[in-house]
Amino acid sequence: MKRVYVIDNGGQWTHRIWRVLRELDCESKIIPNTTPLDQIDASGLVLSGGAPRIAWENLKLGSCTDYLAQFSGPILGVCVGHQLMAVYYGGKAGPSEIPEFGLCNIKVIEPDDLFKGLPSEFQVWQSHNDEVKEAGEFITLAGSKDCKIQAIKHKTKPHYGIQFHAEVNDTEHGEQIYQNFVNLIK
Amino acid sequence: MFKPEKFIDEKIKELKDKIKGTAVIGISGGVDSTTAAIIVHKAIGPNLRGILVDTGYMRKNEIAFNEKMLKGLGINTLAVDASQRFFSKLKGVTEPEHKRKIIGEQFIRVFEEIAEKENAKYFIQGTIAPDWIESGGGLRDVIKSHHNVGGLPKDIKFEIVEPLRDLYKDEVRMVGHKLGLPEDVYQRQPFPGPGLAVRIIGEPTKQNADIVREACAIVEEEIELASKNKEMVKPWQYFAVLLPVKAVGVHGDVRAYGNVVVVRSVESKDGMSASYSKIPHSVLEKISVRITNTLKDSVSRVVYDITNKPPGTIEYE
Repeated sequence: MKRVYVIDNGGQWTHRIWRVLRELDCESKIIPNTTPLDQIDASGLVLSGGAPRIAWENLKLGSCTDYLAQFSGPILGVCVGHQLMAVYYGGKAGPSEIPEFGLCNIKVIEPDDLFKGLPSEFQVWQSHNDEVKEAGEFITLAGSKDCKIQAIKHKTKPHYGIQFHAEVNDTEHGEQIYQNFVNLIK
Repeated sequence: MFKPEKFIDEKIKELKDKIKGTAVIGISGGVDSTTAAIIVHKAIGPNLRGILVDTGYMRKNEIAFNEKMLKGLGINTLAVDASQRFFSKLKGVTEPEHKRKIIGEQFIRVFEEIAEKENAKYFIQGTIAPDWIESGGGLRDVIKSHHNVGGLPKDIKFEIVEPLRDLYKDEVRMVGHKLGLPEDVYQRQPFPGPGLAVRIIGEPTKQNADIVREACAIVEEEIELASKNKEMVKPWQYFAVLLPVKAVGVHGDVRAYGNVVVVRSVESKDGMSASYSKIPHSVLEKISVRITNTLKDSVSRVVYDITNKPPGTIEYE
């Protein structure tokens, strides 16, 4: 059984991520974002979304940047977790010109890894005031009409980010996206 | 995958070890509290006392229905009419969070009085995951103070036990089904703890409660009938909300000036995200006509809410 922990950044759907991982037969628990890295015995991490607003300057989100720097397994950043990742690796994030809440359609640009086996366009659920503006060291995997960077993959590291919420029921293929992420964990 | 049998076995064992003596449980008759009651009943048997509180904000005929159902399930049940107490504490209160906190506290006070009489040290609640997630705490923002979590007073005279705390509604339904609950109980639509008080925007007076109770009953009856007749699929949750907004109408050549009622109906699996129901217009029309005719002295207009969650929430306060 793969051990994938959820780093809690205070999101309304943190618990949903835990639930999806549990349904994918992973061993999972929700841990505070202040947990020291040496106490994390997981082989993959998901950085949850949360209410904190990312500014143009770096936001720390507890120890999340330590995990990005030192954790050896795959990491999936969701919403603010995704924005933090982009900023950490030289990208930019800030307030959305048009924020997205609830229903949204995204288009897959690069089907590798996260979107394997999925249609090129599908419906997702959103809840964000901020977004990634420049992807830095990441490749952009998907975008929507009002937010061009909906999913990212690091050029060399097993780090992925999604702006939308694959963990909620209203997102189509959400469980498959998590399954694809879990498949990347050894 | 979630395995209800395993969950039930583990919980019964855990509750048997934990609860010594008598426990009281607050039961609304909804899926969560009824399922919690059955599990605890299996663990401690007749030492469980089920309390049904009539807050004055229950749905039409709900107390009588629940009392019969719970007694039928073998649970020692006591119905308490506390409506006057709730109405008087909520007099003049309009702010949603203030409302929820007053209701949370009054619930606990009623339960404490009964627990004292019954010499019970434990109080069981049917709290589920979205209740404590939306109530905030730590990093999480407060979306709504659920009466059984964020709405609780600080000084409480008993220990609170929440057997379903980590489950979502759909999992609770699986547990309820496994425990042998009747289908109309485990498939029942969710109903908020503070009841109709949070479906009245503005002051939850008795008069307003009577209006929204009737409007909710009409929405439920028409949607359930249309679902039974295969005109639509039964939604996850469907109800009416009374707005403190008035609109002009015309009734029998005479000017009318009454409140606006919202019909709200959503599709969801666990309540954490939702989309509005695409109800056939013929059904919406029947609801509209019935509400404005039945409640002609107080309601002049009916609107349908087309907001998803997010950006909205399912209930209004």
